[in-house]
Amino acid sequence: MGTLTIALILLALLLVLLSAGVWIAISLAAVAWFGLQFFTTTPPDVNLFQSFWGSSASWTLAALPLFIWMGEILYRTKLSEEMFEGLAPWLTWLPGRLMHVNVLACGIFGTVSGSSAATCATIAKVALPELVKRGYDEKTALGSLCGAGTLGILLPPSIIMVVYAVAAEVSILKVFLAGFLPGFLLMALFSGYIIAWALLNPDKTPKETSQLSFGEKLYKSRHLIPCVLLIVFIVWLMVIGWATATESAAYGVLGSLAIAWWSGGLNRDTFWQSLMGATRLSCMIMFILAGAAFLSSCMAFTGIPKALAAWVASLEPNKYTLIAVLAGIYILLGTALDGVSMIVLTTSIVIPMIEKAGIDLIWFGIFIVLLVEIAEVTPPLGFNLFVLQTMSGRDSNYVAYASIPFFFMMVLCIVLITVFPEIATWLPDVLMRKPK
Amino acid sequence: MRRFLDRLYAASGAFAAICLAGICVLMLAQALGREFGLLIRAADDITSWLTAASAFFALGHTFRHGELVRVGLFIDMLRPGARRIAEIGSLTVAALFVGYMAWAVTKFVYESWKFKEVAQGLVKIPIWIPQLCFVFGVLIFFIAIVDELVTVIKRQKPAYQLAEEDRRARGDFSEMA
Repeated sequence: MGTLTIALILLALLLVLLSAGVWIAISLAAVAWFGLQFFTTTPPDVNLFQSFWGSSASWTLAALPLFIWMGEILYRTKLSEEMFEGLAPWLTWLPGRLMHVNVLACGIFGTVSGSSAATCATIAKVALPELVKRGYDEKTALGSLCGAGTLGILLPPSIIMVVYAVAAEVSILKVFLAGFLPGFLLMALFSGYIIAWALLNPDKTPKETSQLSFGEKLYKSRHLIPCVLLIVFIVWLMVIGWATATESAAYGVLGSLAIAWWSGGLNRDTFWQSLMGATRLSCMIMFILAGAAFLSSCMAFTGIPKALAAWVASLEPNKYTLIAVLAGIYILLGTALDGVSMIVLTTSIVIPMIEKAGIDLIWFGIFIVLLVEIAEVTPPLGFNLFVLQTMSGRDSNYVAYASIPFFFMMVLCIVLITVFPEIATWLPDVLMRKPK
Repeated sequence: MRRFLDRLYAASGAFAAICLAGICVLMLAQALGREFGLLIRAADDITSWLTAASAFFALGHTFRHGELVRVGLFIDMLRPGARRIAEIGSLTVAALFVGYMAWAVTKFVYESWKFKEVAQGLVKIPIWIPQLCFVFGVLIFFIAIVDELVTVIKRQKPAYQLAEEDRRARGDFSEMA
């Protein structure tokens, strides 16, 4: 049987299992078993053990549960209330005023949390009622929260980036570093849109009456300082090469426990809840990674990715055409799959293709993360839409409609990093070039 | 029986959580030790085993909590009767595959015990000892799936569905990556 037929049979089986609601990791592994059992001569049971054990008993992967735990601890503190109170005094001078709190707060929380829905929920919990109470336009508030919430996965440390780095076998640290500039770019685009919108609709931004001195502003944001210091510390550890990603994550856990304890939010109950929450979330992700590793090994035996990469190379596609086609495929996948599944499901197929086309794997990681972000704000399966739907009481179509301008800012960001790939690759290149 | 099973899932989940916290403690101890010139040998091996143990022991607990992801796009649209059939179908597939997995893993670890294979890293212990966490984790996961299958066949809502509905109602989104 030809490679193409095998590929089509496996794909069809996968689609049937996934759409029938079989748990994603189990679907991946079952397809892998089917492929090995019927199309190769390798014993699937030995392969299954080695893929699952090899992908889970991994030192690199240990960073994942720790970063998740760190986010879970901070999610349970009063950080979201302090974020609004602490940032608001600094942003009143910009056109659009407190609307920018959404972007900046999501950006800051996004660096400590690796999750987009958690970032969106944490910030929206306080910012949305506050903004609406003060008479800000609800639609733009919702849209900016929805868009900026996705910064959680673009600004490091990010769970999605760890997943990509593990699946594509590239350095976690490099992908983290590559995320900074695109993250700042995206924040600037969001804020830029808010400024433009506020200038065009001057009557929709309420006046701020209070005038605070510099000292008063600083006093108001005193609760934010430990959190900002923690972020700077963790990133600095990784950048100077003093600690590995996993060690930095351990410091992050320690630091966020200290912050939670200091702000009085830490007791035995919240500690245990954060730990159990982190255990479940990382179990879910690691199980998918293991299932995908099994599928990758099946793919390697069938030779499908190699054949596909050779076929794509034989078409001699323009780099931009290939990127555009892949973007289309990911947006399509994003309608039904969550970000983690989207990435692990495709890496075994797409990575050989990307390498053959001469595209940088670190850059591609950022590209995928941006596409996952877009998937989170577009129906039917946009986690941020679900979050804001619950918080605002509006239906998810209204939230999606409100996020359209911010969706376009994300598309613009993708276009910019495609035309100027240095936005992503410059920072890791400069910082990681020095020999250690 | 119900109480025993619930305790089994809770206990294995708690054990997984302790393993996760263990990774953190070990990492910090290693960094601290390095400052004082004290090397914890084999910390890397133990870290990777703890990571695996945390993932595998949490499976049953995570599954019942409704946090193992699936594509809900189509099954969420079904009416309760059709939904029940769909749940029986996907639970049956899951039970069959995870049952097979339990068999394959047990067989592999049994052989590594029989042939006295030793871990390749710095810690020269029989490799079946850390690998046992995979065996137990998958067995508990298998029990949890069969448990839910029986529940759905008895025309009750499975625990994972109840947990998910509860989270949606409370507006808790911490479980999404």
